[in-house]
Amino acid sequence: MHRVLAVASNTVKQVLRMRIAVVFVLVLVVLLPVMAYNATGDGTIKGRLQTFVSYGLSLVGLLLAMLTIFAVTHSATSELVHRQIYTVLTKPIRRHEFLLGKFLGVLFVDVLLLAGLSAVLYGITVYAPRFMEVTDEDRMQLQNEFFTARKGLVPKEVDVSEEVERDYQKLVTNRELDQFFEGVPKRVVIARLTQQKRLEKRAAAVGEDIIWEFSDVRPADPNGSLFVRFKYDVSVNPADLQVYSQWMVGDLRQLKTGAQVTTPIYRVPRKDLIRASREFEVPAQVLARDGYLAVAFHNEVLNDTAVIFPIEDGFEVLYKADGFTANFMRAVIMVFVRLLFLAAMGIFAGSFLSFPVAVMLCLVVFLTGTVSGFVLDSFGYMGGHLSLIYDYSLKLLVQVLPQFDKINPTGFLVAGRLIPWSLVAWTAVVLIGIKAMILLAIGLWIFRSREIARTTV
Amino acid sequence: MQYAIETIGLTKTFSDWWGRTKVYAVDDLNLQIRTNEVFGLLGPNGSGKTTTLKMLLGLLYPTQGRSLVFGGDGDDPKINARIGYLPEESYLYRYLTSRETLDFYGRIFGLARRVRKERIEALLDMVGLRAVANRPVGTFSKGMARRIGLAQALINDPDLLILDEPTTGLDPIGTRQIKDLILTLARRGKTVLLCSHLLADVEDVCDRIAIMYGGKVRAAGKVADLLQQADRRQITTGPLSDGAIGRIRQIVSSEETDCEVTAPMERLETFFIRIVSEAQAQAQPTSGAVSTTRIGDFLTAGQDQRGVLDALVRSAATEPTPGSVLPTVPAGGPIESPQPVRRDVLDRLVNPEEGSGDGNKQ
Repeated sequence: MHRVLAVASNTVKQVLRMRIAVVFVLVLVVLLPVMAYNATGDGTIKGRLQTFVSYGLSLVGLLLAMLTIFAVTHSATSELVHRQIYTVLTKPIRRHEFLLGKFLGVLFVDVLLLAGLSAVLYGITVYAPRFMEVTDEDRMQLQNEFFTARKGLVPKEVDVSEEVERDYQKLVTNRELDQFFEGVPKRVVIARLTQQKRLEKRAAAVGEDIIWEFSDVRPADPNGSLFVRFKYDVSVNPADLQVYSQWMVGDLRQLKTGAQVTTPIYRVPRKDLIRASREFEVPAQVLARDGYLAVAFHNEVLNDTAVIFPIEDGFEVLYKADGFTANFMRAVIMVFVRLLFLAAMGIFAGSFLSFPVAVMLCLVVFLTGTVSGFVLDSFGYMGGHLSLIYDYSLKLLVQVLPQFDKINPTGFLVAGRLIPWSLVAWTAVVLIGIKAMILLAIGLWIFRSREIARTTV
Repeated sequence: MQYAIETIGLTKTFSDWWGRTKVYAVDDLNLQIRTNEVFGLLGPNGSGKTTTLKMLLGLLYPTQGRSLVFGGDGDDPKINARIGYLPEESYLYRYLTSRETLDFYGRIFGLARRVRKERIEALLDMVGLRAVANRPVGTFSKGMARRIGLAQALINDPDLLILDEPTTGLDPIGTRQIKDLILTLARRGKTVLLCSHLLADVEDVCDRIAIMYGGKVRAAGKVADLLQQADRRQITTGPLSDGAIGRIRQIVSSEETDCEVTAPMERLETFFIRIVSEAQAQAQPTSGAVSTTRIGDFLTAGQDQRGVLDALVRSAATEPTPGSVLPTVPAGGPIESPQPVRRDVLDRLVNPEEGSGDGNKQ
């Protein structure tokens, strides 16, 4: 182990004395306070902090990712180019210990820089409101919607496959398929019908209701609050772009049975802007003892339009599950896990590629992983045989590589959402850990087998 | 018998992209280097010397054959722990200082902090870089880098020292110190494999040599056996009168052989070191590496069997002797230089009837 640590400490010195590391840190140290001052968001205090945390953490994550890629590939390959490795590997150290030392050294720098920069980010976020003009309403909004870690309940997706199949057959029987979907493959038709059906389940016509039911809702504080968060879409835009509604929150089973009401039921009349996320608060006491909760929405007649709750972010019930600090730390851990993967990737690439090629490979993997959702979606729009080729080649590759955009912690922090430990653990172990370890193991194996010296005659 | 180094049919070929053999860098090399031997591997550029060393150390894999170091593989950590290696250039971490460089290598050997510290200071003294120990080695001249390279090869007090072109880039004093060091290490039971094309260096220190060309050994044996001209004799004397020279010519003619009488030249190396020694004794300033008496103490220390570095550490604790800044030009030191024949011996040679007849041959 002392040999691994010797190489690791040498690598730390190498990275810290590389000017590139200093430049990265300087850029961040200058940029973060400037961003904090300039961030405006939607104009509210909450918006400013959301923008700052979002850009700040993304920037720290991105620049450290770049630094990790450059540092680890440079460290692993430069010794072969400049041949210092001749004097190292001829001493009592095994090759895998040498590479592990490089890996640990870069990770140590990552920990050091990430801890420092996160502390700056956290400090500015938490203390900035003290230097701003904040009203009580702003303060309340900040506490409820930003400086918190809320857990979200979303309605379960209804299984519409049977209905979709029925509709499809109906189209075929009525010979309407070509009329509506000319030249479109069945797979795509089914996907479109499914989407349509799901939206129907989340739409309320004029004067109609939608009821969502949840079971086993257990907030950390039973005397705290529940937040109903929603976003309207409409079939016809109202004149003032506002939707009038009646909401009911509580154990609505009590109304059905007609028995005495034991837990309160709240009726909330609202008027809200369309296509914007809104939320209202009700006491958590509305929950039934068995954790049952129902939320009903009534589309007022005067709206004169159907109201649709978009699938992605149309409806959610939130409750506080943890504090901002713990959530922030989990976000930082997730950023670190990403760096860990990139360090392993760099070791793998550096074990057999030259520095520029290794950097390029790492950057391609990193950037593809960062926009993996977009890449995978774009495959979905391909048709015919081309799609098949991509399904079994590039798409497979993108799916095997880590999809960083799916585990981006910034979105959680901005929305004040709980990053559950289960997600952190799953990210660390399954998404990144196993893949990183496999890459590292392959890198070590290649490095162990290859000739270190270049042959010159 | 276990050799310090043994190669059995060692072969290294280089192939093109299609896998076709293009060049034999090393071709069926069979070497045996005994322990406590200073062995010189000679050859012109591209003769396969460095490739051989890299195969010995596991940096390259042989195409055929095998190489053994102390009976094991050259990339086995247990074997590596007994080797000191100085590559053909001092490949150093430019961002580390001399002290950090040596500390890094010491840590790889698992040396305790105290031992590491002692050895580093002693080695820095030995290679004359203590004054610049905290400067990044990236700012060093080639010669200074070479000295640190040598120091890193000695940090583990190795049983086998493999030196590839060790004197490249060094000034004559540094070259001389390395040669003295090699001889001192040999006296202490170490094995040295010296790879060079500077023939004078090899000739001065090696017990045996092998000359490589085209990946094959073309000649091998003891230096004395290979170089000695058995049918020639050389006599070096003090000042002689013309009469004495004439008489010597007569004697030689009577033996029916030819004779050439000239004033011998001092070796340029010896002359250079004397001049620089005098300048250093006068404390002339210099920005380069400074040799200290500790090197001399270390290199001319007794024949005890303690580790070289132990002796080095011990000598580092003593005060330098005033006036003797460099190791003195040898008079009975490790490297022999021409010395005058005693007068009585010479008289007997010139007047054979007065003495027993045999001269003092050197």
